[in-house]
Amino acid sequence: MSKSYYEFFCPVKVVAGHMALEHIPFELAALGAKRPMIITDKGVRVNNLLVPIEAAFIDAESVISAIFDEVPPDSSLQTVRAAAQLYRENNCDAIIAVGGGSVIDTSKGVNILVSEGGDDLLKYSGAHNLPRPLKPFFVVPTTAGTGSEVTAVAVISDTEKSIKMPFASYYLMPNAAVLDPRMTQTLPPHITAMTAMDALTHAVEAYTCLAHNPISDAYATAAIKKISENLIFVLDNPKDANGRLELAQASTMAGIAFSNSMVGLVHSIGHATGAVAHLPHGLAMSLYLPYVLEYNIDTNGDRIADLLLYLAGAEVYAATPAKERALKAIQVIRNMRDTLYDRTKLPRTLQETGKVEKSQLAEIAKKAIDDGSIIYNPKEANLKDLKAILEKAWG
Amino acid sequence: MSVKSSPISSTTQRIVPSAQKAYVGLMMDVIARALVSASQIDGELHGELEGFKAGTTIQMIVLPKGANFTIQVQEDKTLKRVDLGDQKPDLSVKFKHVSHAFLVFSFQESTAQAYANDRMVVDGDTGYATRFVRCLNQLEALILPKLVADLAVKRYPTELGIGEKFNKAAQIYLNVAGSYAELLPKAAQLLSQTLSNKTIKRS
Repeated sequence: MSKSYYEFFCPVKVVAGHMALEHIPFELAALGAKRPMIITDKGVRVNNLLVPIEAAFIDAESVISAIFDEVPPDSSLQTVRAAAQLYRENNCDAIIAVGGGSVIDTSKGVNILVSEGGDDLLKYSGAHNLPRPLKPFFVVPTTAGTGSEVTAVAVISDTEKSIKMPFASYYLMPNAAVLDPRMTQTLPPHITAMTAMDALTHAVEAYTCLAHNPISDAYATAAIKKISENLIFVLDNPKDANGRLELAQASTMAGIAFSNSMVGLVHSIGHATGAVAHLPHGLAMSLYLPYVLEYNIDTNGDRIADLLLYLAGAEVYAATPAKERALKAIQVIRNMRDTLYDRTKLPRTLQETGKVEKSQLAEIAKKAIDDGSIIYNPKEANLKDLKAILEKAWG
Repeated sequence: MSVKSSPISSTTQRIVPSAQKAYVGLMMDVIARALVSASQIDGELHGELEGFKAGTTIQMIVLPKGANFTIQVQEDKTLKRVDLGDQKPDLSVKFKHVSHAFLVFSFQESTAQAYANDRMVVDGDTGYATRFVRCLNQLEALILPKLVADLAVKRYPTELGIGEKFNKAAQIYLNVAGSYAELLPKAAQLLSQTLSNKTIKRS
């Protein structure tokens, strides 16, 4: 059935491929920016990931005016303020985020403060509370999973008040996402696996949940195909630049898909598990994905069945009777997880994580039912349903 | 080729939105009263309200300044209608256009699907928004015939028996009707005041 109404928006320029980093000085100059600040974390610094970016600026006779490398694993208001101060002290005029989800969210927060002035981030919290475009903002992802380089949202914690501030505004979207395979070549195997499963979940939920639309479907299915064709290959050949680029593009495409069609129950339970048991987001996504698809199958089995083509290829799709395709698609995801477990020990059940107590399941279910993404899930889930899914995922 | 607009179609275009506006205004008023009533008699809905902090104010409005209602969660986790004046509610669910609100309140599009179709903007805690949508779903399951409720909610509650549905719907409808009846003396008083003012002015 055709979609009765939808909206799609992605103004982010994608700068992708070999030597993509070398395009940054030109792209910044095109926006009139001459004094960018890099925001990153210690891990990026230690792994020498800034080296090619710094070299790209030197060769182009451009300057990086400041580098803030103290972003913690969870973004915080205090960090945002400290980075904004450094930006102002150095009279910067643009931001380049180099890192994963926390670095990108922090950078979005910094861009609000340096563009709007002041130190009060809370004033801009919520939906569409930014009045005008912000400073030029580029993102160079160093993982292939979050998709934050193309989303209009950020979550920043105020650790002093113990609150999480959500921000949603089109003005938070970067001007450019720079995907260069050099940035993900040193990712350890389990992080590569976990982040790719995060991207796969973004794409699968974007395709199977209520807000899917024809354009997000195109991005989602292309992302699924790239991940299923390249993830295991990259684990076997971690330095392969083409394979790394394919995963980076898949992550961005999945990000474009889910930022327009949102995500569902896998994310609701995953967010809740992160809050209760501090389970890493990508791991939670990988873990819950097949169980939630099984839960949804009687409501949107036709959409899940479509995914078999992108997960397993045309031959498997054609050889599988139509009524068996949805279950087969879930089985392919399960097989993928088994392979990842063999190669990287990426857990498949809550028990295997060793980080979650069975006694915490009720609390996780209670938190998940209030998560904003649950509304987009095609099938209504009550507390009893969530507990049943968690029991299955326990293993 | 020049395109002439038909006066009939333009008249129709004017009448349809006014009818929609009137319908949406009435339905939002009824929904607000029904929510207040259901919060006192339905355990399921009351349970959902347990998740809100006492004092939380929730507004539903058609942009820019159309039909609206605001309710507040009380200490005992029942609901009360309030007027916030210029104060910002804790949670605001804003329909972008009266036609979008009409789709929801005429049960052509479920609240969740309307949310997914970007028919509305939510300002406030998304967890509260999710809970509020469940409150609306439960109310619709209670007060609408099952055939209509099936269109309005993602999944009709299987545990809601016909006897319970009938009893609770009857109570809610009686309370809503009663709340309108309470308005009658006030309306009469207002009308007589207006008339007497006019009489004084004339004399």
